[in-house]
Amino acid sequence: MNPRLAHLLVRLYPRAWRERYGAEFEELLEDGDGGLRTSANVIWSALWERIVPTRGGNMDPDPNSFRAILKHPSAFLPLAMSLTALAMLGLAAIDGVLHGAHGIVREPDEGTVAHLWQLLMTVQMPIVLFFAIKWLRRAPRHTLGILALQAGAWLASCAPVYFLNL
Amino acid sequence: MRSTLNVVKTEEGPEMGHYSDPPLLVLASLASGPKHGHAMIDDIVRLCGTRLGPGTLYGAIARLEQQGWIEPLPAEERRQPYRITGEGVRVLRAKLTTLQQFTKAGLKRLEAL
Repeated sequence: MNPRLAHLLVRLYPRAWRERYGAEFEELLEDGDGGLRTSANVIWSALWERIVPTRGGNMDPDPNSFRAILKHPSAFLPLAMSLTALAMLGLAAIDGVLHGAHGIVREPDEGTVAHLWQLLMTVQMPIVLFFAIKWLRRAPRHTLGILALQAGAWLASCAPVYFLNL
Repeated sequence: MRSTLNVVKTEEGPEMGHYSDPPLLVLASLASGPKHGHAMIDDIVRLCGTRLGPGTLYGAIARLEQQGWIEPLPAEERRQPYRITGEGVRVLRAKLTTLQQFTKAGLKRLEAL
């Protein structure tokens, strides 16, 4: 694998993990084939390491820190739902372009993508509410930061629908 | 949770006949002596036909080390060899015994079909 790509992939892991395994893991990647599947495997593993850290998991003992709060499902699920909704719009647009249209193909009954998008954007509301009620009193500053992230992701997902009149 | 990749294809197809429990595969590989990452990947392919991706391998290594079932040896340049600990051997033996009992019982049931 290209050393630069190997270095970039290793950077996806949390710092505590990199400090322990970074050098040897980078060497393993550099000597490997460097195919797309290898990269996907590393990206997935790095993401998983960030969600369920092996090392560094106990290095942040404050349960009310930004990172600790963000690991709670009520914090990251709304973000994931908004980003999934946004990704669905992107994929629908690409699909539309590939099939000769100039973007998302509009269907008379709104279509599956539209229904899924609405579902993702609506279902996250009670989760956000639950998150705000649970965490605002415990750690107001970090909770507000995460709420801002959730709002940003929600708006980012709404923006194409609003501006492109989908 | 974690997948393996580039599974060696056999006549039965890629989904059949390969065991993919990365931590157990790493322990089984280290049971024949200390190894670094590359050697473990190759050994596991020889052992059961499963090729672990580098991310999967190091995910397993990190967890096994945290549990104290494997431990690092002095590094050889940038390569880091690992060896199985006494506790790791005990865990591996217990897991393989359970698997053996399960396999025996499963095959017996198949014979009855």
